[in-house]
Amino acid sequence: MAKARKTRGESLILRYVVLGGWALVCLLPILWFLSIGFRPRTEVITPQPIYWPTLSLDAWHLLMSDWPIVRYLRNSVVAVAGSVVIDLVLAIPAAYALARYEFRGREDIGFYILSTRMMAPAIVAVPIFFLFKTMGLLDSVWALMLIYAAINLSLVTWIIRSYMLDIPKELEDAARTDGAGDLTILREIIVPACLPGIITAAVIAAIFAINEFLFTLLIASTSNAYTMSVALANFTGGSDGIIYNAIALVSFIAFVPILILVILIQKHLSRGLTMGAVKG
Amino acid sequence: MASIHLKNIEKKYGAFVGVQNMSLEIADEEFLVLLGPSGCGKTTTMRMIAGLEEPTDGQIVIGGEVVNEIDARDRDVAMVFQGYALYPNMSIYENIRFPLRMRGIPASEHDARIRKAAEMVELGSFLERKPGALSGGQRQRAALARAVVRQPQVFLMDEPLSNLDAKLRQSMRVQIKHMQRQLKVTTVYVTHDQIEAMTLADRIVIMNKGAIQQVGTPDQIYSDPSNTFVAGFIGSPPMNLIEGTARNGSFEAPGVSAPCPDYVRGKVTLGIRPEDCQVGGSDVQGMVYGVEPTGDTTYLTVLAGTKKIEVKTARDYRSDIDVAIGITFDPSHLYFFGEDSLRIRGPHDPKV
Repeated sequence: MAKARKTRGESLILRYVVLGGWALVCLLPILWFLSIGFRPRTEVITPQPIYWPTLSLDAWHLLMSDWPIVRYLRNSVVAVAGSVVIDLVLAIPAAYALARYEFRGREDIGFYILSTRMMAPAIVAVPIFFLFKTMGLLDSVWALMLIYAAINLSLVTWIIRSYMLDIPKELEDAARTDGAGDLTILREIIVPACLPGIITAAVIAAIFAINEFLFTLLIASTSNAYTMSVALANFTGGSDGIIYNAIALVSFIAFVPILILVILIQKHLSRGLTMGAVKG
Repeated sequence: MASIHLKNIEKKYGAFVGVQNMSLEIADEEFLVLLGPSGCGKTTTMRMIAGLEEPTDGQIVIGGEVVNEIDARDRDVAMVFQGYALYPNMSIYENIRFPLRMRGIPASEHDARIRKAAEMVELGSFLERKPGALSGGQRQRAALARAVVRQPQVFLMDEPLSNLDAKLRQSMRVQIKHMQRQLKVTTVYVTHDQIEAMTLADRIVIMNKGAIQQVGTPDQIYSDPSNTFVAGFIGSPPMNLIEGTARNGSFEAPGVSAPCPDYVRGKVTLGIRPEDCQVGGSDVQGMVYGVEPTGDTTYLTVLAGTKKIEVKTARDYRSDIDVAIGITFDPSHLYFFGEDSLRIRGPHDPKV
């Protein structure tokens, strides 16, 4: 008995050591570029590593004075938030129909919606560029909003659908005999009951949209519509050559919103990402 | 308040027949119980009355009006579900209020009606809670309150007590019956529990494999079963059914030899309830298989040939197993069923 307990205690310590070590490996790059971001430019490129750099806000001041970071952030937020709203407005009714209504070809339509996600985005990049050019939507945050919404719509629909499938059918039967119509049931029963799923889908869509690069680069031809992801890629630090500490700092700023979103929903995230693994 | 009339109702799912050619009249204010094993079509029948399923064939008439084409939301029918089906995001108060809002009842009446309904099921102090914060019994009462609050023409209850423990089930049963008498609302109640059926029903409809087996008052169903299915389904423990041969006024099976009427001949099944058997005598000669005291009575199982026969004995009856024992049947309570499993009735028996 005592022996068993000891073995258990040892394996617990071992577990923490292994997990802690792995966490450090994962965090190290982030800590590393954070440390680069807050050291003076002279300490960034040296032949020997500097383990205890001088703290400096040079890069921060450079960004704030010289670079329209606020505009890029605002573009990101507007495009991403708008796309998520569009996704939810379209996906919730679609998911409900796919989860509950019996109609011919339901499975095929569901699969078709998902299949839009399967093709490499580069395939449609050129047609989409011309489409948006013809519509006069190039270089506009609104265009990005539409693109992001289109990219994520299938995923959002499927995640919400999987949550709706878990709602007991009895709830809808009860609402129907209580006198509620389809839209009332959707609004008052279904949406509140699968709110965790809707939030999960929204956050996953937001993360994908924040990271979107290819279409943003195509559509946002000038810095007017740049989002953080494209601005970051184009950023070299200005006219004075490549300024690595500023680049590191921008990377970190771009990374923070995603980190916050993931922490907010980590409980639901794995379910959202593996949905369809157990049932389709 | 309304009567319900089912005319030749049929429900098919592809080739599978859920309910076949069912006709039934349910009187105004009646408490009717649909009883049967799972998959017998009782819930499907109820869902068709509610409007949640469409019959493949036949007519459903509620209060003199054919309702086949009327959507569930527009039928004046309230349903209580097995899983309670309370709306998880709403408080109990909002749950009970939901049907009032949906039916456009003036908001000024809501509060009084909700409190009255909650009072009726003794739920007054839980109105602000969410369903998740209530016990199973409280949830069931909340579901009942939601059904009664809008004073529907018909109550439909789909195994409302099956998720509760035995003690709670008994007290809820009485409450449901009291409420139904008080409100005088036509009620259809689905269950697979024969005790619930016997205690609640004005009339019981026994169903099996999508078809009605027998319709009658609990007394009729118990004392005058029309086939072996009904005989074996009702009673706890159920009726003993012994297959054997009848010849010259005598029924014979391994270990069993009992008198029978002359008109019973050939391969038949004898039915006898445990309480109509007595220890002693020689209708059955077998061995004691087991003795189960329950407090107010003792059940004795006798092995005759390969057949186990249940006997209800005095509360202080005790015996070791594998002891030879004789059993007598009460001759006035013997039932005989033919090879078609239907009851064999004598020329003087009343036709049912």
